[in-house]
Amino acid sequence: MWQIGPLAFAAPWLLLALPALPLLWWLLRVSPPAPRRQAFPAIRLLRDLPPTEETPHRTPWWLLLLRLAAAALVILGLARPVWQPAAGGGGGGPLLVVVDDGWAAAPDWPARIAAAAAAIEAAGREGRRVALLSTAPPETGEPLAATGLMPAEEARARLAALRPRPWPPDRAAALAALAAFRAAHPGEFASLYVADGLEHAAAGDAFTPLAAALAAAGPLTLARAGGRPVRVLPPPRAEADRLALRVLQTPSPAPTEARVLARTADGRAVAAATLAFPEGAREATAVLDLPIEIRNQVVRLDLEPEAGAAGVVLLDERFRRRPVGLAAAVETSADAPLTGDLFYLQRALEPYAEIRRGGLEALLARRLAVLILADREVPEGREREALTRWVEEGGMLIRFAGPRLAERPDPLLPVALRAGERALGGALSWERPQTLAPFPEGSPFAGLSPPAEVTVERQVLAEPSPRLAERSWARLADGTPLVTQAPRGRGRIVLFHVTANAEWSDLPLSGLFVDMLRRLVALSAGVQGGESEAPLGPLELLDGFGRLGPATPAAAPLPANRVEETAASPRHPPGWYGTPGQAEEAAWRRALNLSAHLPPPRPAAPPPPAARLVEIGGVPAERDLGPWLLALALVLLAADLLVSLVQRGLLAPQGARRAGRAALILLALAMPARAEEPEGAAALATRLAYVVTGDFQVDETSRLGLLGLSDFVNRRTAAALAEPHGVVPGRDDLAFYPLLYWPVLDTAPPPDAAAAAALNAFMRHGGIILLDTRDEGSGEGMNPGARAALRRLTRDLAIPPLAPVPEDHVLKRAFYLLQDLPGRYAGGQVWVARDQDRANDSVSPVIIGGHDWAAAWAIDARGQNPYATIPGGARQRVLAYRFGVNLVMYALTGNYKGDQVHVPAILERLGN
Amino acid sequence: MTTVPVPWAEALGATLPPLVVEAERVAATVMQGVHGRRRPGQGDAFWQFRPYLPGDAAARVDWRQSARSDRLFVRETEWEAAQTVALWRQDGPGMEWRSDRMFPTKRTRAELLLLALAALLCRGGERVRLFGLPRAFAGRGAVAALAEALPRQAPQAEDGRIPRHARAVLFGDFLAPLEETRRVVAELAGRAVRGHLMQVLDPAEETLPFTGRVRFEGLDGPDHALVPRVEGVRALYGERLARHRAGLAALAAAAGWSFATHRTDHPPEAALLALHRRLAPG
Repeated sequence: MWQIGPLAFAAPWLLLALPALPLLWWLLRVSPPAPRRQAFPAIRLLRDLPPTEETPHRTPWWLLLLRLAAAALVILGLARPVWQPAAGGGGGGPLLVVVDDGWAAAPDWPARIAAAAAAIEAAGREGRRVALLSTAPPETGEPLAATGLMPAEEARARLAALRPRPWPPDRAAALAALAAFRAAHPGEFASLYVADGLEHAAAGDAFTPLAAALAAAGPLTLARAGGRPVRVLPPPRAEADRLALRVLQTPSPAPTEARVLARTADGRAVAAATLAFPEGAREATAVLDLPIEIRNQVVRLDLEPEAGAAGVVLLDERFRRRPVGLAAAVETSADAPLTGDLFYLQRALEPYAEIRRGGLEALLARRLAVLILADREVPEGREREALTRWVEEGGMLIRFAGPRLAERPDPLLPVALRAGERALGGALSWERPQTLAPFPEGSPFAGLSPPAEVTVERQVLAEPSPRLAERSWARLADGTPLVTQAPRGRGRIVLFHVTANAEWSDLPLSGLFVDMLRRLVALSAGVQGGESEAPLGPLELLDGFGRLGPATPAAAPLPANRVEETAASPRHPPGWYGTPGQAEEAAWRRALNLSAHLPPPRPAAPPPPAARLVEIGGVPAERDLGPWLLALALVLLAADLLVSLVQRGLLAPQGARRAGRAALILLALAMPARAEEPEGAAALATRLAYVVTGDFQVDETSRLGLLGLSDFVNRRTAAALAEPHGVVPGRDDLAFYPLLYWPVLDTAPPPDAAAAAALNAFMRHGGIILLDTRDEGSGEGMNPGARAALRRLTRDLAIPPLAPVPEDHVLKRAFYLLQDLPGRYAGGQVWVARDQDRANDSVSPVIIGGHDWAAAWAIDARGQNPYATIPGGARQRVLAYRFGVNLVMYALTGNYKGDQVHVPAILERLGN
Repeated sequence: MTTVPVPWAEALGATLPPLVVEAERVAATVMQGVHGRRRPGQGDAFWQFRPYLPGDAAARVDWRQSARSDRLFVRETEWEAAQTVALWRQDGPGMEWRSDRMFPTKRTRAELLLLALAALLCRGGERVRLFGLPRAFAGRGAVAALAEALPRQAPQAEDGRIPRHARAVLFGDFLAPLEETRRVVAELAGRAVRGHLMQVLDPAEETLPFTGRVRFEGLDGPDHALVPRVEGVRALYGERLARHRAGLAALAAAAGWSFATHRTDHPPEAALLALHRRLAPG
């Protein structure tokens, strides 16, 4: 290694060749260039010219310079120059590279790896061996350990394979690993510590001991990222109609900004909130105000600029719409329009809450935010116990009064009720129906204005008690409570003193009712209860960069009721957990977020004084100039070749232009041509097609059948059909085929979305599908299960209403006049679209039958029919072929022959 | 076949008035033309009335003149004959050469001029013939026939069948030694044929634009010349070319011929106009 300023040479002895350049100069000068040849008619005038110029012609100086420059570049390039070579770490012995690969390293991971790679490169040049130690626990759950000493090349590959991990590093474990490494390699070694600059231990200082241990073993270089703060986005607080966001960061000397993006499941960002951090701030807050419909679609929050796994929050059901259970005393009449107990509740809650119905126990078996009982008493026993437990765990129970409740009050009420109800404004009363008083301060309904037309005619009354006033959230104009509540355990019980239907009051008819219920649901604590010890398996997991990926084998399932308190670790990486079978239903998965249990980020302790500090990024990485110099030399030599050719007249300037053009064309030709051959080939001729089922026997029969039919059609009609193709809908382009033969296997899976879309587009644009169940008429029972398979296959297809082929259908007279349409089997029905669809020229997009036509049409290699017709006879075979011809004509000409039906009538009219 | 499209040559000729060749003495041909022979014969112009002699056809009697007196008169017209112009263009590999694709070859340009001149002459009623071909061309379609016949013309401008007192126009680069050209011209002049030499050169042959070390190779044979530095000999070459041209002009003048030069990068109209000037009377 030999260095001048920022330039170093790895093989400096090659530079000794530079003094040979003057020799080359001299050699080039003494040999004149070859003359260019020029044809010239007036040669006679040039003959015997006196030697006017004494000096012989020389290579021009610029060409000489070009060649010398090329030679010098070759020499310099072979000397392996390196621009700004990285420092090798100093000291002697091997190099230990320690990398913090926890979540905090993710944002500037490439710069970190580049810094480490530069050091390894430098160590490789100096012939030192390298060991690697990453400080975050590995995914496999094995204890941390440094790698053995290895050559730099190998270490670089190992380094490139490192990824930031979605959990914090464990520096105490790294210290232990370092001790083990030192025990194995007792000598001095240099070390490079690429640190993330954070203190990850909950308390105390784990950074200093590790750095000190490294410094004690030899020269320590500490690479740290400066400037940008490390940020964490903890899970937001779900408020009534918004998400309250909080972002924590290490203090930054300058004011900064961060953004939080709310994304839906398909990755669209539907909302963004900007958080401004004043100078030195550690925390900023913002709210994400979203309509409930959009909020329910949000599944993740991303912190920008990118902050890795700690900047990603997955939002599961707890942050989304609240499940509300509805139960009435008599379920059968509960939904009766206008009078049912739950009629108004259901309609009021449906837009913004997930409604669940059913028995009390069934409702409580799942997780529920709010339970509404409409005039339903809770009898003593298991039901009441379960309900009480649920409320005490945090559930919100909303009850509506009614005749039954007035009759038999139970303890699950916020206030004691007087027996019976109070009627206002009846025929036997002087009192007028009461309106609502304004909502008191402190009530969740505060701010809503009760409309004057809402009147209450009947209600249940609370026993007077000193606490009645504070338990009332709404009152009538005369002061009697209308809505009372009482906390119970962590939950709450709310009682509406009127019924949930319009029997006792106008309240359920008003918009106020919707607002009141909405505020109550928003008040609920979220999803409560229903969580068990049942383990939830990892579905999708976040990596260190905050990207979702498939679950790793080392990730372990998590009990459902412990998701909240579990911190992210190699055993439980952050991500989605759930029961794999129910993965489709997003409501059942739970999110484990890394940031939920991270302490606020705090900077690590100052490094030991002996350490050499370098910044990550900023400093340009070293650059190997050798290949570039050699490439430049090659370019110069190529230019020299061109110049020489031009000088000798072998390449006229025009010729050069032409050669350039030719090279361009060659280049264009050399571009990989797009392989469009199969589709192109399919479009070149009209041909039939069959759907490949995957059963070799059936596919071969389909192919032979269509081959035989094509042959018959070619011989008997003007149509010219090429060899049939087998197609897979959704993969092959169906646009080139007029007719698709589709044998139905009993095991056929339903077409996937792409195939269904392709088939629907095929039918919509005039294609005809012939579905063959192969079990019709005399073939009954030959293909059991085909009917069910047919239903399955056509579930996603736009099949029009069907009817048996009528006598005068075009299909029976497109070419031959046919009475019935036999295939291998005779009898039975063939079905076509019932309605004449004008959009498609009244052509049925689908023909369904079960006559195994392909088998009847099939012709094998010897020109014989391999399948006998049932019941049999040459006549049936001929009729099968004739049906095939009619079918092809129908597919090719549509209802054209249908118009021909009128020819006799037209002729008759013309004759008159 | 010639490489020049006939319509092009005709279009080129159409820009000039029809060419009637100045002729003190017209070649002895019997063909009718516009050159009066100052004696009775076939023609349109009135020559004289002469008394009817026995043996004259009755149809020849000019009855209007005869009615003025008692004698019968016969109307005689002047014998008008056409001049014959013999054309030749030089052939050979040297004529196929060009220095740049932008320019036509010398042969192409020579043929273009030849055909355009022929078109002019035919419109003027003159007769055109090629060296080495037995018959002359005249009238409509002559240019096309001439173009057809061009490849069959004699390699040298020597043809004993050229009538005396005809005119000749020779196109070529005339880079051959002066003696050869002198022999051809003298031979023609010996038969009282007057003519014109039109030297067609490529611009590179005039300016020698090459640079550096160049090995020049002749087109006719293995002849070659290595010039170490072309820039240095350019002036000398120009001098030699000028001397060669002066020689050509001198030998033409000695035979009563004229001499002009044309470059393929110049418009052909200029050369055609020069030819028209020299051949037309006055």
